[in-house]
Amino acid sequence: MPFKHHTPVRFISGILLIAFGATALVSVHAQTIDKRILDAEAKRVAVIEKAKPAVVAIFSAGGQGGGSGVVISRDGYALTNFHVVQGSGPVMKCGLPDGVLYDAVLVGLDKVGDVALIKLLPQKTGKDFPFAPMGDSDKVKAGDWSMAMGNPFLLATDFTPTVTYGLVSGVHRYQYPAGRLLEYTDCIQIDTSINPGNSGGPLFNMDGEIIGINGRGSFEKRGRVNSGVGYAISINQIKNFLGHLYAGLDTDHASLGARVETVKEEGAGERLTVRSILEDCDARRRGLDTDDELVAFAGRPITSVNQYTNVLGLYPKGWRMPLVYRRNNNKKEVLVRLMGVQPQEVNEEQPKSNPQPQPSPQPPTPPIPNTPAKKLYVPKTGFANFYFNKQHLDRLLAASRKQGDFSALGGNWRIEADALVRNTRRDVVFAVTEEKDKDSKSPKTLVRLNMGTAYTLEPLKSGQELDELLQPAGSGGLMLALYQYRHLLVLGQKGFEGAFYHGGHEPLYPPPPDGAAPRNLKDRRVDTEVIRTEHAGVTAKWYFSLKDQTLLGFEVQVDKEKDPCEVYLSEYRMSEGRLLPHRWEVRYGGEGYPERYAVFNIKSYQLAAAK
Amino acid sequence: MHTTGASWWASKTRPTLRKIDTMKPLRLLFLIGTSAIFFAPAARADQPFADIADQVNKKLVKLFGSGGFRGLASYGSGMLVSPDGYVLTVATHLIETQDLRVHLYDGRRYQAKVIVSEPELDVALLKLENVEDLPYFDIPQAGKRPLAQAGDWVLAFSNQFQIATRDEPMSVQRGVIASHSKLHGRRGIHEAVYQGDVYVIDAITNNPGAGGGVITTRKGELLGIIGRELRNSLTETWINYAVPIAAKVEIREAGDKLRTVSIPEFVDQAMRGKYKPIQRKEPREGPGGYHGIVLVPNVVDRTPPFIEDILPGSPAAKAGLRPDDLIVYVDGEQVISVKAFNMAMSRIQPGQTVTLEIRRSDRESKAEKLVTVKLPLTERPKPKR
Repeated sequence: MPFKHHTPVRFISGILLIAFGATALVSVHAQTIDKRILDAEAKRVAVIEKAKPAVVAIFSAGGQGGGSGVVISRDGYALTNFHVVQGSGPVMKCGLPDGVLYDAVLVGLDKVGDVALIKLLPQKTGKDFPFAPMGDSDKVKAGDWSMAMGNPFLLATDFTPTVTYGLVSGVHRYQYPAGRLLEYTDCIQIDTSINPGNSGGPLFNMDGEIIGINGRGSFEKRGRVNSGVGYAISINQIKNFLGHLYAGLDTDHASLGARVETVKEEGAGERLTVRSILEDCDARRRGLDTDDELVAFAGRPITSVNQYTNVLGLYPKGWRMPLVYRRNNNKKEVLVRLMGVQPQEVNEEQPKSNPQPQPSPQPPTPPIPNTPAKKLYVPKTGFANFYFNKQHLDRLLAASRKQGDFSALGGNWRIEADALVRNTRRDVVFAVTEEKDKDSKSPKTLVRLNMGTAYTLEPLKSGQELDELLQPAGSGGLMLALYQYRHLLVLGQKGFEGAFYHGGHEPLYPPPPDGAAPRNLKDRRVDTEVIRTEHAGVTAKWYFSLKDQTLLGFEVQVDKEKDPCEVYLSEYRMSEGRLLPHRWEVRYGGEGYPERYAVFNIKSYQLAAAK
Repeated sequence: MHTTGASWWASKTRPTLRKIDTMKPLRLLFLIGTSAIFFAPAARADQPFADIADQVNKKLVKLFGSGGFRGLASYGSGMLVSPDGYVLTVATHLIETQDLRVHLYDGRRYQAKVIVSEPELDVALLKLENVEDLPYFDIPQAGKRPLAQAGDWVLAFSNQFQIATRDEPMSVQRGVIASHSKLHGRRGIHEAVYQGDVYVIDAITNNPGAGGGVITTRKGELLGIIGRELRNSLTETWINYAVPIAAKVEIREAGDKLRTVSIPEFVDQAMRGKYKPIQRKEPREGPGGYHGIVLVPNVVDRTPPFIEDILPGSPAAKAGLRPDDLIVYVDGEQVISVKAFNMAMSRIQPGQTVTLEIRRSDRESKAEKLVTVKLPLTERPKPKR
């Protein structure tokens, strides 16, 4: 039937006619359009062109589905959603707008925050990737323009992202988690259209900086497509987790251990108060109690439960952040170690009933496809990808060894110092010795500390009372701390039969030199990378400067229910070819900021080689 | 929010993909057709709206009332229309409670009292006690503002999905007025109470809880009040609309008086305690007048309204309607199913005349023609004994 053949042609010519008509209309308009308008449009197009090359289309290696992402570094690290890599598995394929399909591997996970870090592998070693800079999402306001890029409905077969443009509808939004995961705290609400497949893609400001990662929307009656209400995880939250993600960790978010409520008071408005608090949480040990009024957390004022959950969600478990509370009209700033949200043991407890719609039902985990990316994937409990943890650990240890190699110095150590112990001047001698027992032939390690009173500790002897391990009393275990310090320097990783891994990034708050409690904790903050260790049942955290990998301090925790002994190291000077700290400040417990136990001004290090 | 779904990992096997694909040519046409409209005002809006959003938000309130069942939200939006706490919102189920709570922009919380509501305008006026000097929208002034035109940029503010509580700012969206037209034309499809002029908006503004929010110019000047959630039962689509503050509706009241009301009149009189809700002459819905048309059995979702039989001596018989006629329009409104026809006819009362447009095939030649028929409805005949 020839007649039917004509129909589509007619249809197309119809479209062409309309298109020509529209073009004519537009060109007529163009002559009368204000130059500012054209400039604004040109600027927008330029920003899109600049940002676009970094936008990733993510596919599972088998090609069953996809999401989006964005490259944030020249070596190919890219951000996406946890629920995207959950769909794709640890090894995936990533398309960039250059038209090339790259192999990629999972690096780090933040399941609660719905964020994942992946790494694209360059086609030629050392070739740089285009990447987008990260902006400051705290500056984003409702009413700002924004652009989302990604691969909605998996439209882009050539990996060119779809661009949508719209308003920021709200900031500091809170969206409830699905079970314990995918909790969107302090997120950015947008009317910029995002749809299935946009997940994990970037939200840009009009300077082409990443301000968020698009991940979810409000759905009710209109189906799972754009409802005019989408949410992006704020990039400032992701920045807090980035050190953990790079280190291949499976991270957790923070909780305080306190339940809060707003209490309405006659004439005085409302107060956000602590309703109940866990007995063994750090906030409780820092003095926080029921009925205390919360004022600010991490420098942000909090007046509602939503704000409280929002601001806590910004930080990883284990970080220490300042909390301001009020009791009897006295405001107090305390430094709190944050607890986690997820159950301690991995896979210990899955939320039983899940009221939230989950990503399309997951097929049983397929075998990891044999791509070059597979070589960069090492699964291990508690880690997203242990391969990257090992990389970071080795890098950090190598950098640290450059400042001094102690591996040969396994003999007796003797350190002399002028000290201020509990505000009293003392001459102090500290020694670690390897001695042979009279009865047995095996050597044993002894720690001695003489500062008026003489202390001896045999750190590896079993069955010791907690009080012995914690001596000198009030230090939280200084003897053990000194022992662990030597152990790390001399033996490194092989000395730790328990855990030994890179713990990502954490803030450290070294005390002011004058010995006073810091007036403002925020000003004391130094960003560090952490190694976490366990040896002889004692866990420790070692804080290395992000700038030059100097060991700025460490804490040794003898007992889980007790505060750790904190040692802050400074005044690094050369001593026999090695950089060593000549000032040790020991702090422990206390309300607010840990109390000073002692300051050691080191006069000499005598570190003998192993016999 | 419990209504939020998380994951936007797209699965290639999803049927939604196909749906979207079939929409593509349509969308393309739409884009080409409207590009000129978008073009001119678009770029003026390169300025962010943060300050405007902040200003407007202070004049809005979050409402919490009845609902929470059968897909009815227990939250909503409203606007302050006086410094001493009068609030204008939509006249939905939300306000049918003794415990209607209001959150101001600064987090203060109050109980609100319903002063009066007017279903014909789909608005209600509430009052908060013991408040003063609140920022508010000047309704008389907004009523005098010229109507927005199709193609104009607007901002929409509401507490859709109950995203904000207490002092958290409401959501702001931007959109374009797609048309200024009558909602009336969609009756029988949308369960709309209000049947006057509306702004149809191209953004998804009418989400749960959005009713009572505002649309403004990009300078934050009040244009309209966001209406309810309305679903087109035939196409399964949702309409996004707002009632212009200046809109007037004309209703025939009991006693056959024609009364015209508008939102500014409603607010003015209601604030003085003088507003009397409209008493309709006829019930809005009912069995309707008698016509004598018997349609084919309604067997599928969209059974076309073919006439099966005509009752002898009925108005339809006198008007010359015949079996096998297909009814296409009722008073200019397309009726694509038996259900739509019945709904349309149920609103037409005895004594009124309805215009039907009929598609009729000639039995011999099979040629089709359109026939227009005037059909005066009567009272239902009394059953014979």
